[in-house]
Amino acid sequence: MKRRLAVLAALSTLVVAALASTAGTGTAATDASQAVSCSKRLKVAMITPVTGGGGFIGQEQVTWAKFAVKNLAKKTYGLNVQLVVGDTPVEKGPGEALVVAQKFIADQSVVAIIGPATSGGVASASQALAAAGLAHISPSATRTSLTKGSKLEATKFFFRVVPGDYIQGPTDANYMVDKLKADKVVLVDFQEPYSVGLADAAEAVLKRKGVSTTRLSTSVNTTDFSSLVTRVPSDADVVFFPTQQPADAQTFGTQMREQGKRAVMFGGDGANSPSAFKIPGSYVSNFAPDISGIPTSRALIAGWQKDNPSLKLGSFGPPSYLAVQVALNAIKRACTAGKGQIKDRKDVFRNVKRIRVNPSILGGTFRFSTKSNDPLNAKFYIFQIQSDGSYKLVS
Amino acid sequence: MDTFVQLTLNGLTLGSVYALIALGYSLVYGILKLLNFAHGDVFMVGSFIGFGVLQLLGGATDPVLPLWPLLIVITVSAMAGCAVLGVVIERFAYRPLRDAPRIAPLISALGVSFFLAYSMQVLFGAEQRDYDAFSLDNGKLFLSGFDIGNVRVPLLRIVIIVAAFLLMIVLWLLVTRTRTGKAMKATSYDREAAAMMGIDIDRVIVVAFVLGSALAGAAGVLFALRAPTFPAIGFLAGLKGFTAAVIGGIGSVPGAMAGGLILGFAEAYTQGYISTKWSDLLVFVILIGFMIFRPQGLFGRPDIKKV
Amino acid sequence: MSGFDHDDRHQQGSPSEPQPGARKASEAEAPTSPAVGRDEWVARHGERRARRGGVLGTLEERLAVVPWWVWLTLFVAAACTVPLFSESGYVRRVAFDTVVFMLLALGLNVVVGWGGLLDLGYVAFFGIGAYAYALLASDKYDIHVPTIALIPLVALIGGIAGWLVGLPSRRLTGDYLAIVTLFFFQVFLTATNNGDDVFGRNLTNGPNGILDVDVFSFFGWSLPRVTSTGQFSVRYLYVALAIFGLVYVALRLLNDSRTGRAWRSLREDALAAEVMGMPVNTLKLMAFAFGASVAALTGSVAAALNGSVFPQNFEFPLLITVYTMVILGGAGSQVGVVLGAIIVSVLLEVLREPGDARGLFYLVILLALVGVFRPSLRLAIVLGGTAVLGFVAHLVAGRVDDAWTAGVAEDSGRIAGWVSDWVIVPTQLAGWVPAVSYVTLIALALGLTLVEGWRRVALLIPTLYLAAFVWENVLLDAPESTRYVVLGGLLVAMMIARPQGLLGEKRVEIV
Repeated sequence: MKRRLAVLAALSTLVVAALASTAGTGTAATDASQAVSCSKRLKVAMITPVTGGGGFIGQEQVTWAKFAVKNLAKKTYGLNVQLVVGDTPVEKGPGEALVVAQKFIADQSVVAIIGPATSGGVASASQALAAAGLAHISPSATRTSLTKGSKLEATKFFFRVVPGDYIQGPTDANYMVDKLKADKVVLVDFQEPYSVGLADAAEAVLKRKGVSTTRLSTSVNTTDFSSLVTRVPSDADVVFFPTQQPADAQTFGTQMREQGKRAVMFGGDGANSPSAFKIPGSYVSNFAPDISGIPTSRALIAGWQKDNPSLKLGSFGPPSYLAVQVALNAIKRACTAGKGQIKDRKDVFRNVKRIRVNPSILGGTFRFSTKSNDPLNAKFYIFQIQSDGSYKLVS
Repeated sequence: MDTFVQLTLNGLTLGSVYALIALGYSLVYGILKLLNFAHGDVFMVGSFIGFGVLQLLGGATDPVLPLWPLLIVITVSAMAGCAVLGVVIERFAYRPLRDAPRIAPLISALGVSFFLAYSMQVLFGAEQRDYDAFSLDNGKLFLSGFDIGNVRVPLLRIVIIVAAFLLMIVLWLLVTRTRTGKAMKATSYDREAAAMMGIDIDRVIVVAFVLGSALAGAAGVLFALRAPTFPAIGFLAGLKGFTAAVIGGIGSVPGAMAGGLILGFAEAYTQGYISTKWSDLLVFVILIGFMIFRPQGLFGRPDIKKV
Repeated sequence: MSGFDHDDRHQQGSPSEPQPGARKASEAEAPTSPAVGRDEWVARHGERRARRGGVLGTLEERLAVVPWWVWLTLFVAAACTVPLFSESGYVRRVAFDTVVFMLLALGLNVVVGWGGLLDLGYVAFFGIGAYAYALLASDKYDIHVPTIALIPLVALIGGIAGWLVGLPSRRLTGDYLAIVTLFFFQVFLTATNNGDDVFGRNLTNGPNGILDVDVFSFFGWSLPRVTSTGQFSVRYLYVALAIFGLVYVALRLLNDSRTGRAWRSLREDALAAEVMGMPVNTLKLMAFAFGASVAALTGSVAAALNGSVFPQNFEFPLLITVYTMVILGGAGSQVGVVLGAIIVSVLLEVLREPGDARGLFYLVILLALVGVFRPSLRLAIVLGGTAVLGFVAHLVAGRVDDAWTAGVAEDSGRIAGWVSDWVIVPTQLAGWVPAVSYVTLIALALGLTLVEGWRRVALLIPTLYLAAFVWENVLLDAPESTRYVVLGGLLVAMMIARPQGLLGEKRVEIV
């Protein structure tokens, strides 16, 4: 019994110490009224899944965001910026974004948010972030209803540097109908927000155009698709496969070949990965043209590759670079206007909308649309996978 | 008709993998009366070992070994690795709890499962790993084979089914024909009586873990040859294998084989004929019904309480 | 501490043959002359208590005089003052989440600790509660039931759901119940995830979840969930604490009632209980239903605060987390599981931040060493040896190549500077290093349990240094996964070293 008391005493010490350490960091940072000096270290916080099933998305985004801070903060904008990351594993649901957001809201040195990476995360955290005056710039949340429609799921403090499903879905659907002359299309979704949203957007357009569609649906954790492939009619022209896991697209394609299906695979931006998805003749859409063809972007890719030699270029990274660039630029402007300090996080928010980035890592000039917080004139590009596995821009 | 043949083939392929996993559950349950929740994660580790060995041997695009030796080396190393893992788990997480209340080893097993899954995630990240078996010999494994009607039975599926059945037959022989097998059977009937008869219980249990884990390792490789693997897959594979074991009657070796195949067919037919969206739900609802009306499974003995 | 839960000590069956884990206790209490016709264990209870001497013993006796509800009031009052210490919305939010976990742990304690049932579908009831609240108080169907009526309703719905799921337990025992509940959990997840298209009708919005869930409002007073500056609204902490107090008292009274005693006997030996004429099935169902009801109630609080409900909120890791809390604190003891919930919840938060996680790691190691060796020569040898080993290794590595020791970023916490002089942290790790060092560490740690005496001391030194190396180089790089690795390891270690948890009572199963 003495032992029990001893254990208890030791544990209470631990808990008190732990509480004290969190409480300490918390209070120090939240003197709500205080302005933040730009000569001190500012924080840009990222909200993205770094672990769990969607961990690969966040890991890629974080490496690029880190690279952007390292490359730009001091040199280009003269800012002392630290990137902090809040993890929102997809297994814990979009609600986790709110928990993480409130952590960053409490820290006054956080002046801008990159993310939340998922549309669900944006929907759950946007109100709290808006109340705190924090601009949140997502590199990957593409659900249409965040910025468009009668009932917005996000606030005006939300920005995205990639266009939403309202462009990608129709672009892909139109290409299938106009260029591929598809009459029969199978759509597969993975019962998670990204692929359901994109499949819905494409299906609506296809139906309007009189294409016969079949919708299949499977759990996000499925990796053997043979029975889904069996469901693909032999006369189907296209299988639309909006996955976030390029390896899934590769597997589905292999299993279609195995079962002798002739339909062409068509993936969304989530399947865009030349190293993982390489079924010849398939199509992939992406929010950026082949950026390794643009000299300025190629240099950035090389710089990033040097920091992350074991990683391969994916499609989630470069937009994160752009999002950080927009945020840093807005912070710099807020600092200049505030004569060396940021009085209110809203000052950063007010500047975001005005930012132009030229040249953008995604090619051309980047700016926000005046109507919504979406990129102006954004469009989706479609690639065809060649027999050597390379991606060729076809539209 | 073609659809039916194709779905049957899908079910057979998947079912034989499930059966291999289910065998591990059943072996351990039969002897220890322990639901080894960590078993699915052993399967996952096996698929990762296979992946690692394949990369060491040059990867699928440029392997240093010809096709068949390569497949054998991958499978055997995964089986060996998993066998070691199984023994370690048994020795450190279950053996100290052998006489504890029944709930204790179950919770320990949940802990091991969680520990393994997230350790792999710490070390290798959460993303899917693809063996890229299609690149081996220019897709020979997927494209060559024989035809039933209009349905092609590809080489890889033959390999998976044959390998799984071979392993099951070997196991069956081990369990029924050898002294160790008899000792296992005796232990599963009554552990204390078996110990009094001079059977080394610890050894029997270790053998059960070695066999079960090796089969899980083989299943991991066979599965990952067709579909990508990732750390979180252990939980799902475990759930499927566990379900299969329950259908067949947990603790029964032929039951586990039958249960695996039934589950494979059930999944393939519901996905093929009823709904892809609701197939998981249907399977689980059927199972709950099964549990309620025939809890001892197809081949299991009803649980008779001794007082 | 004992005032809170001293009644739990009666929950013992009589000790039969000594268990390996329980050996020490049984030896100390070897019965001298078994008395016929009365419960040995209960009879000797006072004797055992009396043997606890010294200052601590006296203290404990004094504390035991204070009734449990005084402690509860003090605890809730103390928790209410948390916001006074910290302006930070984050700390308050963590406090709120901790209370939610405390509620979940209390509910699971009814099922696992009192009922002795392994319920692997517990989190589904939490989800059912959250969904029930969200569907009955949001724009989804434009139903807005008043909070004061909705909370009891949700608890009732949860209870009924628990009752229904528990029904099969009439025919199922032990492991099979675990299986059925696990399947039920999967059914729940699949159903909510696919609820956007049930024969063409959208029932639950599927993976997109339900947004714009109503906030709590009592008699026309509504409680906004964020303050005007976007911080967590502290009023939810008070509401949650109030609910916690109510639930605690209700469960405590339940446990002291006839039902509570029946559960204890059921858990110790269901067969004997049945023979004594107890309605075993009904009792099991009740435990299930009460647990589910508490979980559902908690779900409504979480849904109201978050303002949204998604199927992914209720996945397997949450289940394991709640289990860890109950097991760590001690299944069966209400104080224990609350303590477990606090420890695990705070631990998970601290592990989020690499700087804090680092501090915690060294603190825990130090405390554990002191706890095991007490101030002694061995402790000095282990600590000194590890320190020396570290400095030597660091020096050698630094001489060979600067890059080997230049990895700790200057801004990652208070202890980081000290650590960077001691642990080898290369700027870039070769691909095989994490896996090899991690596996070696596990092997060494497991090996430690096999050797004894001076060998253990000798082995401990490299193990500790390797642990620091792995912590700095591998685990701190992936804090989110590390959190769960720690939880998994904790579960196994607890089961082996102290299955009764921190405050639970040792259970002896009658074989």
